[in-house]
Amino acid sequence: MNFFNNIGDSFYKSFIYDDRYLYFLEGIKNTLIIAFFAVLIGIFLGMIISLIKDYNKEKNKLKILTKICDFYVYVIRGTPVLLQLMILYYVVFKTVDIPIVLVGVLTFGLNSAAYVSEIIRSGILSIGNGQKEAAKTLGLSYFQTMRYVIFPQVLQNMLPALGNEFITLLKDTSVAGYIGIVELLKASDIVSSRTYDYFFPLIVSALIYLFFTFLLVRFMRMLERKLNHVRS
Amino acid sequence: MYEVKKLVKKFDKVKVLKEIDLDIKEGEKIVIIGPSGSGKSTLLRCLGRLEIPTSGKIYFNNKDITKINNTHEIGMVFQSFNLFENLTVLENITLAPIKTKLLSKQEAIKKAREYLKQIKLEDKENNYPADLSGGQKQRVAIIRALMTNPKVILFDEPTSALDREMIEEVLNLMEDVAKEGMTMIVVTHELNFASNFATKIIFMDEGKILESGSPKELFNNPKTERLKEFLKG
Ligand SMILES: Nc1ncnc2c1ncn2[C@@H]1O[C@H](COP(=O)(O)OP(=O)(O)OP(=O)(O)O)[C@@H](O)[C@H]1O
Ligand SMILES: [Mg+2]
Repeated sequence: MNFFNNIGDSFYKSFIYDDRYLYFLEGIKNTLIIAFFAVLIGIFLGMIISLIKDYNKEKNKLKILTKICDFYVYVIRGTPVLLQLMILYYVVFKTVDIPIVLVGVLTFGLNSAAYVSEIIRSGILSIGNGQKEAAKTLGLSYFQTMRYVIFPQVLQNMLPALGNEFITLLKDTSVAGYIGIVELLKASDIVSSRTYDYFFPLIVSALIYLFFTFLLVRFMRMLERKLNHVRS
Repeated sequence: MYEVKKLVKKFDKVKVLKEIDLDIKEGEKIVIIGPSGSGKSTLLRCLGRLEIPTSGKIYFNNKDITKINNTHEIGMVFQSFNLFENLTVLENITLAPIKTKLLSKQEAIKKAREYLKQIKLEDKENNYPADLSGGQKQRVAIIRALMTNPKVILFDEPTSALDREMIEEVLNLMEDVAKEGMTMIVVTHELNFASNFATKIIFMDEGKILESGSPKELFNNPKTERLKEFLKG
């Protein structure tokens, strides 16, 4: 009886008392906002970076821009995301009045772009030159070829790798708490530092992360199936 | 149509084409033969603007080929077909003429269906390349090249990736295309086909044109030792 009493008590303290569940809701909201918009930035910017690099390889143009992209990817992949977050918050936006969640969105978006660009680039390479060359002899431009022939295949082939990247991103947003963003893990931290009881906040956070990664996995599978269906 | 002057192509430091001179007139059917590594593909790829010459000039209808931007006037057919894997047969054939505004969508589809009927693949228009046999793929690739009204079509070993029983159907289609008056330049190891098909045979060895002439001249009267060896197989 005592055991159940304790559990009930602990649950009450962690979520109900003082409306503490609101922290978790705030945490979920911020985690999802950061992850969602970071993915969008990551895909958009990652695609542009990989296009610049491929265009450079193909036409031997845009040399300086390509160097910048190479350097960018090198720096992002060579430093911890937490450090990137801190530099953006404590250095770049130090004197700028900007919502802190936006700093999170930017950091994770810019970070993800580097990884996504590498995924897309290896996807372009794996398709080989044959279809590009055929397109060229048919009079299609570089961009028409990328848009109608190469990118659709890259997307299909790279879907599993992109899915992994997004799952990693979702989990990595948990370091955003370091600069004071109330994301999910930070929310759980705030609550347990009041109650000195870590069990429920941590377990519930874990379950929430699992739930979202589960949804993401299902979503990616559905996309894969849809795209595969088109082909066969 | 083509004027090639002192064409040199190097990869790194290696000279793969050594000062090639070549004239090709409209309507000719050229077959290029030669041992592996002699530079046949490289020459063809230079003519198709897929390689940039190291030195020398290629004129296509009196225009410097390196100064032409996008063109559909030089069609190409590859050993590995290179169909667009993400598109259906019909989309493969109509993509370029539609996107380059050569034809309207309706015109392109109409023309594509006529060609598909001609090669007896009209019931495959909604299939993807993965569903086709090698011979079917190559025939689709050939009519894809025809769709943009090229002035010349270059073929790089169009039947080398095919099983024996499919080679025939591809060669037959090439002969049909030839009858329409198309200028064609073909790299192939099918010497029987070459002797009926070609108006002129070019024998390449080590980056040079060693001999050229009618099939009769070359096959019955080879002048160089290298060609004699090559014909013996
Ligand atoms: N992109 C390249 N980079 C470096 N070397 C190349 C490249 N393409 C061709 N070569 C070399 O150039 C030479 C000629 O090659 P090419 O493909 O033109 O010969 P080929 O006559 O078509 O031979 P095959 O009958 O085997 O197709 C070869 O020694 C080849 O290794
Ligand atoms: Mg070759």
